[in-house]
Parts: sequence; structure tokens; C-alpha cells
Amino acid sequence: MRQVFVSPRYFSAADILIFLLLGACIYGIIAIGAQWQADYHPVTEIDLSIGALPRYALFSAMRGLVAYILSLAFTLVVGYSAAKSKKAERIIIPLIDILQSIPVLGFLPGLVLGLIALFPKTNLGLELAAIIMIFTGQVWNMTFSFYSSLKSLPSDYSEASKIMGLTWWQKFWRLEMPFSSVNLVWNSLMSMAGGWFFLSVSEAFTLGEREYRIPGVGAYMAVAISKSDTGAMLNGIIAMVCIIFVLDTFIWHPILSWVRRFRLEDVPGIAPEEPLMTLAIRESRFIRLVKVFYRRYLVRKRTRTELPEKSIPLPRMIGLTTRETRKIWNSSVKYVEPILWVVAIGIVGAGFMRLVNILLNVDGETWIYLLSATGFTFLRVVGALALSSLWAVPVGIWIGLSAKRIAVAQPIIQIFASFPAPMLYPLALAIFISLGMSLDWSSMFLMMLGVQWYVLFNVLAGALKISQELGDSLNLMKNSHWDRWTTLYLPSVFPSLVTGWVTAAGGAWNASIVAEYISYQGKTLAAKGLGAAISTAAGKPDFNLLAASLTLMIIVVLVLNQTLWDKLYKLAQSRYRMDAL
Amino acid sequence: MSTPRIELKNVSKNYVLESGNEIKVLNGVNFSVASEDVIALLGPSGSGKSTCLRIMCGLLEQSSGEVLANGQPLLGTNYDVALVFQSFALFPWETVYTNIELALRPVGISPHEMRARVKKAIDLVGLEGFEEAYPRELSGGMKQRVGIARALVMERPILFLDEPFSALDVLTADTLRWEIVNIWHSKNTSVQTLVLVTHNIQEAVYMAKKILVMGTNPGHIRSEIVNDLPYPRDDKDPNFRRMVTKIHDLITETYMPDAPTASATAVTSGATTIQPKIVREPPIETLPNVQISDVIGIVEVIFDQGGRADIFELALKIGKDFGTTLYMVKAAELLDLVDTPRHNVILTELGKRFAEGDINSRKRVLHELFGALKIVQLSSNLLRTEESLRVPIDTLETRVGEWLPNENPHQIVETLIAWGRFAEYFGYNDDTKEVYLDVGQEPTV
Repeated sequence: MRQVFVSPRYFSAADILIFLLLGACIYGIIAIGAQWQADYHPVTEIDLSIGALPRYALFSAMRGLVAYILSLAFTLVVGYSAAKSKKAERIIIPLIDILQSIPVLGFLPGLVLGLIALFPKTNLGLELAAIIMIFTGQVWNMTFSFYSSLKSLPSDYSEASKIMGLTWWQKFWRLEMPFSSVNLVWNSLMSMAGGWFFLSVSEAFTLGEREYRIPGVGAYMAVAISKSDTGAMLNGIIAMVCIIFVLDTFIWHPILSWVRRFRLEDVPGIAPEEPLMTLAIRESRFIRLVKVFYRRYLVRKRTRTELPEKSIPLPRMIGLTTRETRKIWNSSVKYVEPILWVVAIGIVGAGFMRLVNILLNVDGETWIYLLSATGFTFLRVVGALALSSLWAVPVGIWIGLSAKRIAVAQPIIQIFASFPAPMLYPLALAIFISLGMSLDWSSMFLMMLGVQWYVLFNVLAGALKISQELGDSLNLMKNSHWDRWTTLYLPSVFPSLVTGWVTAAGGAWNASIVAEYISYQGKTLAAKGLGAAISTAAGKPDFNLLAASLTLMIIVVLVLNQTLWDKLYKLAQSRYRMDAL
Repeated sequence: MSTPRIELKNVSKNYVLESGNEIKVLNGVNFSVASEDVIALLGPSGSGKSTCLRIMCGLLEQSSGEVLANGQPLLGTNYDVALVFQSFALFPWETVYTNIELALRPVGISPHEMRARVKKAIDLVGLEGFEEAYPRELSGGMKQRVGIARALVMERPILFLDEPFSALDVLTADTLRWEIVNIWHSKNTSVQTLVLVTHNIQEAVYMAKKILVMGTNPGHIRSEIVNDLPYPRDDKDPNFRRMVTKIHDLITETYMPDAPTASATAVTSGATTIQPKIVREPPIETLPNVQISDVIGIVEVIFDQGGRADIFELALKIGKDFGTTLYMVKAAELLDLVDTPRHNVILTELGKRFAEGDINSRKRVLHELFGALKIVQLSSNLLRTEESLRVPIDTLETRVGEWLPNENPHQIVETLIAWGRFAEYFGYNDDTKEVYLDVGQEPTV
């Protein structure tokens, strides 16, 4: 079955596929360009017919990709700086930790109003707002992964490149980028999924009395929900699955299979099956032609630069020795650095004072309400995690124990996990309400809808590491099934389970914003909880309340990270680590 | 005499441990590398030989002292040097050819010249036919050839070799050693000077003109031996063997002085009066980082050989390198199980009884011998200050750091617990992170 495309004499199915994709990309770029430049039009009429969907899907996908390119640029610059400079590291890493726990939705009102003021004539402001919302869902994870990859580069390699005298540019492209690429691409795939989470909200939202809507699958879903059109909702869901599937198949998997060559452990392993797109690229006559032309260009370029092109650093060109350059650099750093610090501290301090000022405006009654709401949301988060674990742990272990089951289940789970759960909320809510549950209870199940996959995914990965030998020895000793689960399976997956919990808890806090505050059959339902408080405040918009509830959520998430999760994580790493044997 | 290529003047290096303690890894090192020199830095792990090499490369900065390259203070990377790594450090995603070519990228030469130089390097190490191969397709020996070719292609005058053959099998290592000496000796390449880091005495004698024997705690140069055997050298030549024995003796004397410094008997001291600076005599022993089961193993091997063995033969017999074997013997000596007149190892009466006994009688003997060590007594005194006979491991580590300021306290405490558990002297609970005194202080039989 591997040879899908027969080697072509002229053009083949592979080429048609590639032309289709290229065409879609070009059309997408033109269409989105036209949409951005079009006259300011805050409420797009959404056509609920099926024929309109491909265009909407294209718009949403392009937004995701543009956001991804921004995320990638941010990751490369910021992640690199953090890994290379101790000073930058001390600022950037805690900052990312905080930004990661900020529910992005809270910034929507300010962002939208600001950007519309900036581009009053066109749709660019609204579009940018949507893209930035998606960007914030993607970027933190990527930056952090890139940073830790760079930090884990074995010292021998950086020593070798130093001795060779590689410039930082050469070192980056020949060593650091290939080394971190596997992690970066894998993370990109996951982060893309994270970016879709708030797609609906970023494409269609209400601020005070005003409605805003830009064409896309998210807006389509929002309209379908407000009109209670179940058929259209299902179409929207299918369109979203298609976006995820197409991006995975045609972008991420080929890249992933390509970057596998950049793994450091050079074990001669079995090559994993090539994804469809990789085959298509290899078999395509068109791609081959492009390659041939590119090679010719390279050869011509090379023969042209026959002269030595020794790169002389700028300081040396103006007659400074290395030591003098160093001195100048050091002394300028000495003078400039304190100034930068003063400016930075000033800005942060002013922002902090302003925040304190706002928070002081919030009265005691509101604080008491918010605190009890935080308690409710906390209970929901814990409940969602517990319920998810209850089914996902045994199922994950069961799947992970068999290679056959993994092969079948993994791609399906990945699509499920990538799907933005908020799009399913109205449908799910209809079921819960028909079962007689209030939103206070339903919202916990809604939160679970999105986060259970993190648990399942991680447990599955952990189950792959269950020791065959330990299982065999339990068999020989004739231990019961119970013993097998309690002494082998559960402890083996525990470290992965903790990782899953941490991710899921973060997702659940974030999800509370949309799960506790929902438009349902033309009405807006709100549960008692911190997420609902944030949504209410953002919708009005009431900036005092918004600041108070956001601050509260950030503090709670950070405190939980530093205490509960950190402790569990350390326990998992010390006691339940398999390779410690 | 011309200026030395590299000169170290009173160079020291300190590291700050995670606990905040500072540890000295290199102390007052002086030597110089002349052009045409072949220098071996010989010593066990922890003698700072790799640190020394990296300081000469400009990859590490010394904490004090001066490093001169061609008479000038060395600032940043030393571009006279090419370096061959123990781990090869090849880029797995580049082919043999591009791995070597990469070293020429920063040089700025025409593609034509680049190809010629890479070809020459490939030719020198015999890698023709492998140009398109990826490192993962090569054996260890071939990988190291790529590493050497990459170093040669840079055409630097000094070649540094950091334990270059340690990851290779014996036969491959022999061949490569011969080839490196040949490359240097033939003067066909830019390489005029070799600096080799190794723990293998034969290797040092085979290759080097000057052998710097390094010692531990902290790393320093023990002595400098001139080796003027003519090249090519033959390890069966009596002069070669004499040189090896000479260095063996020197190292043995360093690590196992005939008059043991730590008397394992009659050391008593009150817990409260211990002040690290005053307690000089008798010194507190450091525990060699050796498994207690290895110590027992080596006692058994010596017992099987009639209670007496030569330490070099012992190393061959157990298939460990000389340095590791020395540490094991040193540990056995510390416990009074063996005596070490020159490079002989002889079982003591106690050692013989120990070897003959079963596991429980062995444990009884060990319990007593272990308890006689000064560091054990200090530690158990510390534990006794608590009513529960327990202290957090961090506390013990801090105290050990005070008693033995030049050692890595973490490692010592680890060994202390490992031996103490076997001797049923100390216990440790990883959940509470506490070290405790095994109650009763008598092995349960």
C-alpha cells in the first residue's frame, strides 16, 4: 500500500494534488487580502448554506496560519534570546509562565477597541484582533519548547562549533535549528490545535451593545447556534474537522516526517511509514522541475562567487582589534544597561500601580462574590479532571498496551484533541439540559469535553513505557489483575498522567470562560463561577470587574502551579520514574 | 627558545555547586606547550585534565592565573587549536563530507579550494567511499575518523585530543593511535603539536613526549615525565615497558602511599568540639566513589589468587581501567582489608577472614571496619545529636562539605549511605529525605 503514486512520466495524481493545494493557498491569500482591505464592515452577514462553507473554512485556516507565522517568528526571537542570555532568561521565562496562565479572552475588548481605532477605514483591525487571539493560544508553548530544546543541546556540539569558529548565524542554522526542529514541529502541531480553541469567540463577539462578526467557520458556528440551526451546526463541525485534517495531512505530517532526520540519537531505527504528502512531493513531476531549477541556480551562484568571501566583522573593517571591540562593547553595556532597567521598572511599576488603583475601586461585596465564584470554578476544574481520569486512564492504558490499538486510535484521538471544544458546547448543552442539569453542573461537563483528551493522550504515551519484563514477572508469580493494575500499570503511567493533568488543568481554567457563560437558544446562560465573571465583564465591558477577575484567575493558576502541580511533578519524577531502575 | 604555543601560569578553576558551596577542580597548574611537543595529560577522573584542556582552548575561563597563547593573554576561543572529542560530536544530520566541510564554512575560501581541502582530509584518515554516509551508518572507529578529519581540515597547528579512543574497542583504538602519531610525525599536515587527555598509561607512553601526571582533590600536576623513546614506539619494547612501570609506580605511590595516612583504629572525638579547621590530625578520609560490592569483589579476586596480586594484573583480570581499579583497591585499603606495599596488593588477616566468611559474617566485619572510619564517626555523632537519630540529608551534606572542603559533598554522602546500608550502619528514607542511624548498631543476624 506504500506505493500510492506510480512514478510519473509526465504529470500525475501527485501533481494534481499539489496544484490544488497551491491554488487554494494563492486564492486564500488573495481573498484574505481583499477582506482585510475591504471597507470597514463590523458585522458580516453569514450565509448558512453549505456552499458558503469552503470559503469560510479557507478564511479561518488562513487566520490560523498567519497567526502561526507570527508565533514562529516570536518563538525564534524570544526563545533564542532566553536561551542565550542569562539576563533575558530571568525576565522572559517567568513572564511566559504568567502570560500562559492569562485567559486571553480577557484582553479581547481592549484589543478590539484599540485596533479598530488604529485602522478605522478597513477590516484590518478586526482581523488583526482575531489573529492575535489565535496567536496567544499558540505561542507560549512553542516558545517554551524551543527554549528548552536550545538549553538541552549537548555541550560537546557547542564546543565543536566554537572551535570551528562558526558564526552565530551558521551555528543557528547548522546546529541549533536542526537540533530543536523535531520538538518545535511537534509542538507547532499541538499549538495550532490550541489556537483554534477560541476561534468562535474571536470571529464573532459582542462588546456592550455592539456586535462584531468576520467571515469564518467560527462566526458560521456562532450564527448557527444563535439561530438554533442544528444542521448548520453539524456542517460547521465537519468544516472544522476538515481544516484540522487538511492542515495535519498536508502540512504537519510531511514536515514532521522530514525533520525526523534531525534527531540527535543516531540509532539506526526503522523508518516510520511515510505520510501521504511526503510521497506526493517525492512523486510529483512539478516539484522535481522546481528542484532542478533551484539546483541550477545554486550552481550558477556558486561559480559566480569564485572569489574568497571571507566574512570580516564590521569592527575589524574599521580597524579595531577584537580586544578593543570587546572593551567598547563592555563599557557601552555598562552604561546602557542601568538606563534600560530604569525604563523597564518604570513601565512595569506604572502598570502595577494602575492595576492596584483599579482593583481598589472594586468594592468588598464584589470581591467576596468573586472569591466564592473562584471556589466554584476550582471545584469544576477538579471535577472535570477527576471525571476525565476516571475513564481516560483505564482506556489509555488499554490502548497503549497493544501496538495495533495504538495505530488505530492515535490519529483519531489527535483530531478529537485538536477540535475546539467550545464549538460543541451548544449541542452538548442541549443534551445536558434535557437530562435536567443546570448550567452550574453542565459547565463542568463542558470543560471536561475539551480537556479529557489531554489526559488520554498522555496516559497513552505513558502506557507505551510499561515494562514488559515487570508484566511477565507478575504473570509468573500468578498475581491477580488487581495487583497488575495497582503495582504496575498505574505507577508506570503516573508521571505522564501528571503532565496530562497539568495541561488539562490549564485548559480547564481557560475553558471556564466559555463553558460558564453560553448563548443558548437566543438566551445567554451564566453559571456562578470566575469564568462567567470574566465573560460578563468582558461583554459589558466593565474594566474594573474584568481586571479584578483576571487578576484573581492568574493568581490562582500560578499558585496552583507552584504548589500542587510542582509537588506532584517532583513526586512523579523521583519515585515513579522507570529509567531510575 | 621560541615562545611556547600555550603557557599556563598558576591556573586554578573553581565551580560553584548547586548547594552554593564552591569546589576547586584545578589548583595552581603550571606548564607550557612548545611547538613540536606531544603532551599527555594523564590522570583519573576528577583530576581536572579535561577542564585543563578546555581552558587551553578558551572554552572555559580560568578562575585565577594566566593563560598565554603565543605569548599573549588568551581571550576567548583559541583559534590555533582543533579539538577531537570523546563523543565524536558529529552532526547526525550531515553526511561525512558535509560534517568535515562545515569546519571550513567560517574560513571563507573558494568552493574549489574547499573541495580540495576536504578531499585531502578524507584521504588522510582513509574515509574515501564514505563521503555520502551519515554518522549513524558508521562504526565508532569510522566516526572518530570523521572527527579527526574535521579537526585536520581546519589546518590548525595544534591538535587537542580529549580521551579520543575511550569510546572505541581495543583494536580500533590501537590502529587510530598509530595513525595519529603517524600524521603528526610525517609532518604532512598543519599539525605540529599534539595535546592528549587520557587515563590510559599505555596510551600516554605510546604517544607522548611529555607526560603530565595529574592528581585529584583538587586537580593538580603531580609530576612531569619526559618520554624520549624514539618513534614509532613498540609496546613490547623493554624500554617502553619500563616507562609504563615507572608511571604505574608513581601513580600507585600517589594514591596508595605505603604509610597509610588514615589509621583505621582508635579514633575518638567528641561531637560537639569538632571544628573543621582545628581537626587536622588524623585527617578525615574521603570515601572513594566505589560500590561496596566492587570492593568485596576485588577482595574475592585477590583471595582466589592466593591473597596477593599485582595491581596492573588485577586491572587486566577484572577488565577495568587502571584508575578504577586503583579506586577499588584504595577503598579496600581504607577499610583495612588489604595492604599495598608498592604496586602489590596483599590481603590482611582481616581481609582473609572476610573473604572466607558468609554474607552475615562479612556484614559483621564490615560493620566494625566501617564504624572505625573517622568520617563515619563524625556522621554518627551528628545523627546522635537528634533524639530520633535522624537528620535531613541536606544537613549531613553541609557538614561533610565543612569536613572535606575540597570534595563534592553530595558524592561523599551518597557513598556514605551506600556503604552504610550494606554495613547496616546507616539507613536512608528517600520520601522524608532523612538519614538515620541503624538502630542497635549491630547487624541483625
